[in-house]
Amino acid sequence: MQNVVTYIIIFFAGLIMQAQSNVEQSAAVEPTKYQKGMQKAFQLWQQNKSWEAANVFERIATAETDNWLPPYYVAQINVINSFTEKNETKLKAQLDKAQNFINEAKAISKDNPDLMILQAQLYTAWIVFDGQRYGMTYSPKASELYAKALAIAPQNPRMILAKAEWDMGSAKYFGQSVEPYCKEIQRAIDLFATFKPQGEFYPSYGEERAKQIKAESCN
Amino acid sequence: MKTLFFTILLVTFPSIFSAQTEISGRVFDTNGTPIMGANVYLDGAYDGATSEENGYFTFSTSETGVQTLVISYVSFETAEITMEVSKMQNLKINLREDVNSLETVTISAGSFTAGDNSKINALKPLDIVTTASALGDFVGALQTLPGTTTVAEDGRLFVRGGDANETQVFIDGIRVFKPYSPTANNIPTRGRYSPFLFDGITFSTGGYSAEYGQALSSVLLLNTVDEPTQEKTDIALMTVGGGVGHTEKWDKSSISVNTSYINLAPYIALFPDRNDWEKPFESVAGEAVFRHRIGDGLLKVYSAFDTSNFELTQEDINKPGGQDFGLNNNNFYTNASYLKMLNNNWTVFGGASFTSGKTKVGFEETTVNSTENAAHLKLKLKKRFHNRLILSFGAEQFLSGFKENFNDDSTAAQLEFDNNISAAFAETDIIFLRSLALKLGLRGEYSQLFDEATLSPRVSFAYKTGKSSQLSLAYGNFYQQPESNILKFNNNLSAQQTQHYILNYQYSANNRIFRAEVYRKHYKNLVMYTDEYPSFDSEFSNSGNGFAQGLDLFWRDNKSIKNMDYWISYSYLDTERKYKNYPVAATPSYANTHNLSVVGKYWVDAWKSQLGFSYQYGSGRTYTNPNTEGFLQSKTKGYNNVSLNWAYLISPQKILYASVNNVLATKNINGYQYANTPDTNGNFARREILPAADQFFFVGFFWTISEDGTDNQLDNL
Repeated sequence: MQNVVTYIIIFFAGLIMQAQSNVEQSAAVEPTKYQKGMQKAFQLWQQNKSWEAANVFERIATAETDNWLPPYYVAQINVINSFTEKNETKLKAQLDKAQNFINEAKAISKDNPDLMILQAQLYTAWIVFDGQRYGMTYSPKASELYAKALAIAPQNPRMILAKAEWDMGSAKYFGQSVEPYCKEIQRAIDLFATFKPQGEFYPSYGEERAKQIKAESCN
Repeated sequence: MKTLFFTILLVTFPSIFSAQTEISGRVFDTNGTPIMGANVYLDGAYDGATSEENGYFTFSTSETGVQTLVISYVSFETAEITMEVSKMQNLKINLREDVNSLETVTISAGSFTAGDNSKINALKPLDIVTTASALGDFVGALQTLPGTTTVAEDGRLFVRGGDANETQVFIDGIRVFKPYSPTANNIPTRGRYSPFLFDGITFSTGGYSAEYGQALSSVLLLNTVDEPTQEKTDIALMTVGGGVGHTEKWDKSSISVNTSYINLAPYIALFPDRNDWEKPFESVAGEAVFRHRIGDGLLKVYSAFDTSNFELTQEDINKPGGQDFGLNNNNFYTNASYLKMLNNNWTVFGGASFTSGKTKVGFEETTVNSTENAAHLKLKLKKRFHNRLILSFGAEQFLSGFKENFNDDSTAAQLEFDNNISAAFAETDIIFLRSLALKLGLRGEYSQLFDEATLSPRVSFAYKTGKSSQLSLAYGNFYQQPESNILKFNNNLSAQQTQHYILNYQYSANNRIFRAEVYRKHYKNLVMYTDEYPSFDSEFSNSGNGFAQGLDLFWRDNKSIKNMDYWISYSYLDTERKYKNYPVAATPSYANTHNLSVVGKYWVDAWKSQLGFSYQYGSGRTYTNPNTEGFLQSKTKGYNNVSLNWAYLISPQKILYASVNNVLATKNINGYQYANTPDTNGNFARREILPAADQFFFVGFFWTISEDGTDNQLDNL
């Protein structure tokens, strides 16, 4: 099972790039405390100081108790950094922390497909760490979340990409055709062209990754 | 005027009113080592900093007055300091390690846990179905763990010198009264319940929690899945029958149903065994779990029904034509539980179970009809004062009624009794440090039948001796009522008793686990009777006693060899007891000295296959040879069994599974049956008690159809 999912690691390489687009700011208006805080966090993240960025997001989360984005990013940084963590004790501590912040974000924003994808990625971190031990329990859970997120936002290219990539990994392993998933990835790329995040600092990553998969796995 | 003045002042000298206060300090752990990367901030404000390499932090804030400074760092408990901002300078902060960590000691004496996120797993849920010798029976997989004895012809769990009745099974914390399907003599039974409905299994071979009673030796705790992952349909086609399962999910509830039909007739027609079957084993079973979320609460209802029947003639040295035996059993079990989180870290759990079993046994001209109804009610409260202190307490009630009609040519009799037990328990878990934990429990029981009260203290303690190793100690007192085959004749008895002393060492790192456990058990008040079998005329007493002591070793490793996972269990057991109709203290025939299990699983990626191997060895078991002086004075040859299995993943959702039990066709002798009367030379003739068949073959095809998996499959079909 572990082979099915190790490919996911690559997925995160392009993830940090998203931060960049978020920082673009309309300079006309004086930024609020929230905007300044978020910008600072994204800057730290871009400078490869992801833990410091997470700390800033965590501070913002305690001040902005009705905004799901700060806890979402705290969780996301913990999840991303877990993919390369080899020490199980540290891994569990980080993923426990990520889970707490996902729970916090979920309490603010219900049925949020981005949070579902993040939750699925948290499960994937466990599977990547030890597929034999965690694959059986967590892969169906992750599958279900990818399907659910897509059902909620069928035209969101990030949801299309996440599910197609997950399914593609399993199809490749079993030597099945990846053609149907390539079609989905193309659809995601087309939709990314016109995709507008719902609001400032909303997740907007995925386009680069979709193109990369297309180049690597589809023809 | 005043307001105007202030406004002007504000506009002119804003800096006076937004004066910045400097906050500074250092963060350490409890040993005084500086912590780098800790998040230090004022709660609810944006102001804060990340601690540097030497633990130092500083930041400025415009907040004034009393504020809360939060210091958080992964795997440490978050600290809060509330004080005047102006005084938050040169602070020295010590963070306590979070005990909810993999590095925290766990009380491991006596127990094996199979779960997903429990800290140390000796067994994984999947092991239950992929252990070569287990044939899909969860009890079979547990028999490869140390502390169990190989009693191949029985199939139940025999733990540390205890007989099979001394182990109790609980589903979701509620007692299962009849966990095994009934069988004929010398045909191993199987657990009634499908392993697929459970996601957590704890097998305790001693020293268990005060929450569980009425078990002298061991408890097996099964937890049903809280929330199934997806809607799916499972189809199983096997050489011995078939099964269908389905899971359906809604917003707040879900239901899983599982049915199976087993018929050994075709198999026995192909591979006849040593029994003469008039009607081979046939069973129909159904199980369902319904779960419903109510706010923060979870309601689970588990129900199982099964009916089985068979009729056969078994070889018997005292009966040239063989012994006729027929059985018809209907069993219904239901269990409902409700778990809810309350305010202030209180949790409430309530549950009830009901079992109704009807058995009709016929041997020769005798028919016995028995009905046993039993219920268990339980209420438990738990308070988490802190991650380091948890208190739980509760009360429970067992109700059981037994009725039996006995009919043969000459006699007709009716036997019945009611056995009600009330119990209360309290337990506390204290984690002093990551390296030191203590569990203290007390259980009290009152038996209405005997008008007797018992009190059982339980203590366990764990200490971490190194980064990956720990020592645990456990002591406990355990009581259990005699079985219904005794209570139906005599109620004037007491509960039987054991005391356990356990010392456990555990080392676990890098997917390798080593455990060593020594124990000593004292048995008191065991029931004795005067005849060969308990009957109306027997005299009963609680005068029996005994002991068991031994060493259990376990090693599991899935790291050293790529794609290979294996475990080795060894148990040494020294036990003697005087009970039932034993004239002297002796080692019972179900107990042997040495038991060894080796289980291996090798994943061949290129074949998408898992190959499984298991070897079981049990040293000889005692029997009484009437041709020489003594009681249980002789021993059989040792037991050997090599089994292989092969699971082939055809696609993500289709699995082909084949297994062969006892590949080498070793002839294992379970014991001997002697003639009642000696022959002309004064010798008692004997016959070997052999398993019904030396080998067993099994082929099955398992297909799962799930909602999101359908895409994968249909696209390629």
